[in-house]
Amino acid sequence: MSSIPATIATENADRRSRVDARHDVWFRRLLKVCALLVLAALLGAALSTLWGGREVLLGHGLHFLTSDAWNPVTNDYGAWAPIFGTLVTSLIALILAVPTAFGIALFLTEIAPAWLRGPVAMAIELLASIPSIIYGMWGLFVFVPFMASIEPGLSEMLGRIPLFGKLFQGPPIGLGLLTAGIVLAVMILPFICSVMREVFQTVPNRLKESSYALGSTTWEVVWDIVLPYTRSAVIGGIFLGLGRALGETMAVTFVLGNAYDITASLLMPGTSISSSIANEFNEAVGTHRSALIALGFLLFVVTFVVLLVSRLMLRQLARREGA
Amino acid sequence: MTENTALPNMTSMFAATSSLVSMQPKLEVRNLNFRYGDFQALKSIGMDIPEKKVTAIIGPSGCGKSTLLRVFNRIYAVYPGQRADGEVLLDGEDILDVGYPLHGLRSKVGMVFQKPVPFPMTIFENIAWGIRHHERLSKADMAARVEQALRRAALWDEVKDKLKRNALGLSGGQQQRLCIARSIALKPEVLLLDEPTSALDPIATGRIEQLIEELKRDYTLVIVTHNMQQAARVSDRTAFMYLGELVEFDDTERIFTKPAKQQTEDYISGRFG
Amino acid sequence: MTLLDIYFRRRAVNMTAMILSGLAAAVGLAFLVWILWVTLKSGLSALDLKLFTKITAYGAEGGLSNAIVGSLVMDLIALAICAPVGVLAGTFLAEYASRTKLGAVIRFLNDILLSAPSIVLGLFVYMIVVLPMSNLSHGAVSFSGLAGAVALALIGLPVIVRTTDEMLQLVPGTLREAALSLGVPQWKLTVQVLMRAAVSGIVTGVLLALARLAGETAPLLFTAFGNNFMAFHPLNKMESLPIAIYQYTNDPNPALHAIAWAGALLITLFVLLLSLSARWYLHRHKVTHD
Repeated sequence: MSSIPATIATENADRRSRVDARHDVWFRRLLKVCALLVLAALLGAALSTLWGGREVLLGHGLHFLTSDAWNPVTNDYGAWAPIFGTLVTSLIALILAVPTAFGIALFLTEIAPAWLRGPVAMAIELLASIPSIIYGMWGLFVFVPFMASIEPGLSEMLGRIPLFGKLFQGPPIGLGLLTAGIVLAVMILPFICSVMREVFQTVPNRLKESSYALGSTTWEVVWDIVLPYTRSAVIGGIFLGLGRALGETMAVTFVLGNAYDITASLLMPGTSISSSIANEFNEAVGTHRSALIALGFLLFVVTFVVLLVSRLMLRQLARREGA
Repeated sequence: MTENTALPNMTSMFAATSSLVSMQPKLEVRNLNFRYGDFQALKSIGMDIPEKKVTAIIGPSGCGKSTLLRVFNRIYAVYPGQRADGEVLLDGEDILDVGYPLHGLRSKVGMVFQKPVPFPMTIFENIAWGIRHHERLSKADMAARVEQALRRAALWDEVKDKLKRNALGLSGGQQQRLCIARSIALKPEVLLLDEPTSALDPIATGRIEQLIEELKRDYTLVIVTHNMQQAARVSDRTAFMYLGELVEFDDTERIFTKPAKQQTEDYISGRFG
Repeated sequence: MTLLDIYFRRRAVNMTAMILSGLAAAVGLAFLVWILWVTLKSGLSALDLKLFTKITAYGAEGGLSNAIVGSLVMDLIALAICAPVGVLAGTFLAEYASRTKLGAVIRFLNDILLSAPSIVLGLFVYMIVVLPMSNLSHGAVSFSGLAGAVALALIGLPVIVRTTDEMLQLVPGTLREAALSLGVPQWKLTVQVLMRAAVSGIVTGVLLALARLAGETAPLLFTAFGNNFMAFHPLNKMESLPIAIYQYTNDPNPALHAIAWAGALLITLFVLLLSLSARWYLHRHKVTHD
């Protein structure tokens, strides 16, 4: 059909094919390098903090994990107080946020009228996009005074209970682990909630309908059908929230009180890994700085493991959905 | 329905008579086997596809007819785990040979798919985009080439005033003719049509069939269809496939009036599938 | 227990659960309204033209202009880094590695990076950008807007990778086959057809990434540091809105708190506007192929 002799045409096509193939190879390499940068970022974050904290991690060894001393003057560093604060605030946050998130997800998937679902779901998602420093400010300027006003009553009421009461004895200054935990709870609520809502929606209607047909109440359907069906993903969502809570800085830094104390009372000020780093890093030099970077390494490893579990649990549901 | 579009070789239409067998085949399939992983989708297929004729491939779904079509331009090679062995000769050269340039093959063998898939570009760009990869044309030449392709696909009069509009705004039938125009703009020798009308309404289907009738003056067409009436209407030769095997391949008239095999007759008369 | 008792007990349990769940939704919304209301009220009452004209060096008499400029500069540089890298990485996952082991691993780790503690990413950038630059320049350059932007890019990157990957997977396979059957190489098909088909999703991802990184504070603390004066050059220390808010909130002076609220309002409005428009945009320009 073309006027060029067939052999030349074939040669051209041949050359063009080779050029195309070469371009494709380079394009693929470029893309691959970019994708590998994601790996490099995670690996780099782990290795660089390990390197930066080597002085303390190697020098203090296990002592760094178990000691509650944090003394820049004598260069004696133990991470137990920040670890304790991180764990306690995250735990409080989970205890408060998980049932609330479950309630909201239940409301949005089973109870609310259709016209209400969209707007409420949207509002919860918006809560997730508010920068965490806004939570911190709100916590410090609004929620801390509020807590200070109710803490005397709280101590009065709960402080008398044997053993358990110890948690609620302390100065009613508003700052402290409990306040930080509550602020964190508000912050991670939308993350847990949106995962739960999404996975609840994946439950096949025929399962729910056949249970309703047997006369089950909404609650029974949710408890006996929806939750067992989505269990692993729900746990994944909770761990996702936990990962967020452990690593959060700005929402807790203002309201923790920044004290390297370990007390039984949740009303006492404390510290957390991330807020210690945020508060001290720019003034720290030498071993002190190394100790803070070592804290960062610890935080990274712990959140990595938590998020790993979270993603593995979430993936199970995705796989079943695909099958 | 369509105006008589100015065609270069009106006479060739009459030149082609029923002496199909005597002509050199455009595509020769020799002992072709095809596997998706462990599943053998095609079992030692052999057939000669004549030049400038319409060859239809029919059969119940899953019989391998689309698979066979997808071997002819090696589009299956996009997916890992799909393997073809045997020979498929295009003008005597084996296109399954690794040395056969893919680039040349794809420009010689065009393909139109079941669902119209216009690219997310303007109508003009939809045609020009493919050409640009194969040839360097001046602006005027490109415009002429695009117009020629659109005329050839009987779409020009409907779109000539909106070439700058997004192709996604066209109707389904227009989109499918755009896809045909896009393929013939590369001046292919063979045009593969994979159930080209199954997503279209009867009127749009009629226009495409009319177009196929006109295109065979210049191109060798192979059409896969699940619609037997369509095969009877548009094709010169018909292949009937069943469970990955070529059961019968003959003149269309013969297949639909006195098929040699019982299976063919059962299928044609609607006794299964 | 009679049958009727069981019936009423089940009804009661159900009712309680329903009420509690409605209550949970109300509490969740109440906190959202509370936080937004406080931000709006305190922010609006402190909103003033001098926020945009004066720098933070004047303290309570000053504004946030250097912080706003710094934020804009760093956010833009961060986007310029993470948008191309993220789009290309997401393309790799969707087009070349959708079923490979490497693809699965990267996709998995990207999801982890998405919620990794941002303060550690700040430390990472301190180690790999701030320290080496300081060593190379013998202390002339240490903390810098560039380092801040790199840290922010790490926040935005996984968002873009994920949305690009997801959006490209929505593009129908027939579009790929149609382009390949024209003899066009894979890279051309990817860049000129697939990315164009998924462009609305990719733009959404970029907007969401911007919304995410614009509000981040922790990664900037030890990278961009802060600067009470106007700075445009990315190798200088640079102020930013979140850092200014952080410093002013930590200050005992209530006049600075007011400015911090005004900054908080600006940043909240910016972020909410971005995430709302991203959703709206995606809704309007859904991938039109089915």
